[in-house]
Amino acid sequence: MTTISTSAFYERSTRAIADLRAQAGALQTAIGTGNRLARSSDDPVAAAQLRRMARAEAFAAVDKGAASRASTDLTLADNALSEFAGQITRARELAVQAANGTLSPAQRGAIGTEIRQIGAELLSLANARDSAGHALFGGNGPGSAYTVDAAGNPVYAGTASAGELPLGDGLNVTRGVTGPEFLNFSASGGPTTLFAAIKGLADALQGAAADPAQAARAALGTLDAGLEAVTTTQTVVGTRLAWIDLVSERRTEAGELRAEQQAEVGGADLAETMTRLQQTMTVLEASQASFARLSSLTLFDLLR
Amino acid sequence: MASDLFTIGASGIRAARAALDITAQNIANASTEGYVRRSVELSELSTAGGYNRISDISLSGVRVDGIARNADAFRQGEVRRTGSDAARAGAELAGLESAEAALEQSKLYPALTGFEASLQRLASDPVDPALRAAVLEDARTLTRTFAIAAQGLDEAANGLRFEAQDGTAQVNLLAGELARTNVQLIRTRPGTSDQATLLDQRDSLLDRLSEFTGVSATFNANQTVEVRLGGSAGPLLVSGANTASFAMTTAADGTIGFTLDGNPVALPAGSLAGKAQALVSLRDTRTSLDGLADALISAANGAQANGTALDGTPGPPLFSGSGAAGITVALSSGSAIATAPAGAPAGSRDIAGLNALRGALDSADIAGGTSGLIFSVSSAAAGRRVTSDALDAIAGSARIALEARSGVDLEQEAVNLVRFQQAFQASGRAIQVASDVFDTLLALK
Repeated sequence: MTTISTSAFYERSTRAIADLRAQAGALQTAIGTGNRLARSSDDPVAAAQLRRMARAEAFAAVDKGAASRASTDLTLADNALSEFAGQITRARELAVQAANGTLSPAQRGAIGTEIRQIGAELLSLANARDSAGHALFGGNGPGSAYTVDAAGNPVYAGTASAGELPLGDGLNVTRGVTGPEFLNFSASGGPTTLFAAIKGLADALQGAAADPAQAARAALGTLDAGLEAVTTTQTVVGTRLAWIDLVSERRTEAGELRAEQQAEVGGADLAETMTRLQQTMTVLEASQASFARLSSLTLFDLLR
Repeated sequence: MASDLFTIGASGIRAARAALDITAQNIANASTEGYVRRSVELSELSTAGGYNRISDISLSGVRVDGIARNADAFRQGEVRRTGSDAARAGAELAGLESAEAALEQSKLYPALTGFEASLQRLASDPVDPALRAAVLEDARTLTRTFAIAAQGLDEAANGLRFEAQDGTAQVNLLAGELARTNVQLIRTRPGTSDQATLLDQRDSLLDRLSEFTGVSATFNANQTVEVRLGGSAGPLLVSGANTASFAMTTAADGTIGFTLDGNPVALPAGSLAGKAQALVSLRDTRTSLDGLADALISAANGAQANGTALDGTPGPPLFSGSGAAGITVALSSGSAIATAPAGAPAGSRDIAGLNALRGALDSADIAGGTSGLIFSVSSAAAGRRVTSDALDAIAGSARIALEARSGVDLEQEAVNLVRFQQAFQASGRAIQVASDVFDTLLALK
């Protein structure tokens, strides 16, 4: 005869109900946290993927900041370059005026003074600061981009090239332009700098040249070359800004994909989890009810 | 001699009383741990006839032969074996889970990511004192999380060793109790309720012993037990009144071993075996964690030495100390982080040095190593959980099978109550009849 002892009945019921309760608890945790995994060992592979994605997300946030900083600095450089172009154009207009043979030496001298002033403004523009307060055109060097030597000539004090800023995924952008990249150019008379050209013109108009009008005419070609150098650099800056936009767009898309993947790998599907919880609860309630019914059935009640 | 109706009735009453007592005892102990259902063994009492009276009626009623204990030795053995296995798997799983928790809850991986992200942020403006200070603080956070993880692992190992020490003491205690029970069993007559109680005690002691270590038990004819550690060829722990002394040894690396009377003994099952296995895993995890910290120190310090700090001098070491518990930040100021390459002037914004530092961390693959360490511990825990769940289910069904066989069934006891009450009443009736018969004889005139 097979008997079912009372303690075996209770033990079995306890185990079954405890199992169901544990399942319901795990599902409830998943709904409460929105995560399928409470700890790595719930799904080690998924947890490792989630760790990798969280890491990529942290780096993407930094890259976003770096991109926006590079973008700001390049925009500042672009604005400064526009001002350079404006000043060069103004100097060119003055040179055209001075090239007129009917002007008196005094009038040319006045034009020369104005051009000298433009030279000073160009120097202060060349020493413009970026969003962090560093020299905008000084490359990686500390301090100002240009210093003035004993003879009053601006001398480049920065480094040969501007540094590259990582934008994530191994992509970089050169975060600025150095002064010599657009202020040094070659004109008909060989390589020169914008400062030298402006200073030479001012000196010539103020009596250093035997024929100031001819000197002013000659300066026109040099100034044109200088303007071309500046506008070319502006194009380069514009291309870099476009590159940053492209990389940012790429990062945004990658971020969206990552979020999707994160939800897929580690997120709890709410509808599915709710349904499974409901199912578990139904079974749990049924087994509790049947346990209560069975345990209240005892022969002792019937024997009088 | 004619049968004595009075004696027969009285013996019936005695037998029914004994059966009722046993039934009540069964009901009272229905939920007692380790109680095995008892039943009364009755036998007919009839005297053989004397000389020349072979075919005479000589009945003397019933007698209580003994108390039977409805134990099932095979299933009890199964409960011990499967329970040992489940206890071993459970202990090992608990150890691995605490290693996993130590690694995960210390947030080592996020701290490492934070440190590297901070270095990356510094690239956008390498001379910014705020960004440099942030790198230093994130480095400090990282060293502290290393220390927290190491401490968590050490604490888990300490806890396991403490529990194992306690378990060792329990094994000795239980072995001593078993030896005492053996002595008492020798002095007890079979079939008595005393013996049944002692056998219950013996089995429940064996049960508790098997939680700690895998044991194999051999029962002698006099119901005493011989206990061997491990398999049936293992060393003797309890034999008759003698016990061997069981002890735990701790190695320098924190792992534990066991000895019996001074000889090393391997435990195949039981919670002590599980704890020993878990301690090996914890030691390995701790060694890997130390390796990661050392790799971080050498990668960061090597890159620092090849770079130039903000003031134009070569970078001093970023970290000092060794191992996960010893790693500390050596720099006192963020300006000493070597972001510029060797030979760069003071205040240089060249990030070649910083890139070299990040490259060194990348090629040392500390983040990958950390993730891999968490992965290996958590996948080991996941695997052991499956094993443990399976062994638990097996142990649970073995226990249910044993209880179904030797536990108390209240319905059956209720039926027995009624049955033996009726037997009692019927025997009383027999005495009544005897009395009537006697009265009839006395009334003869």
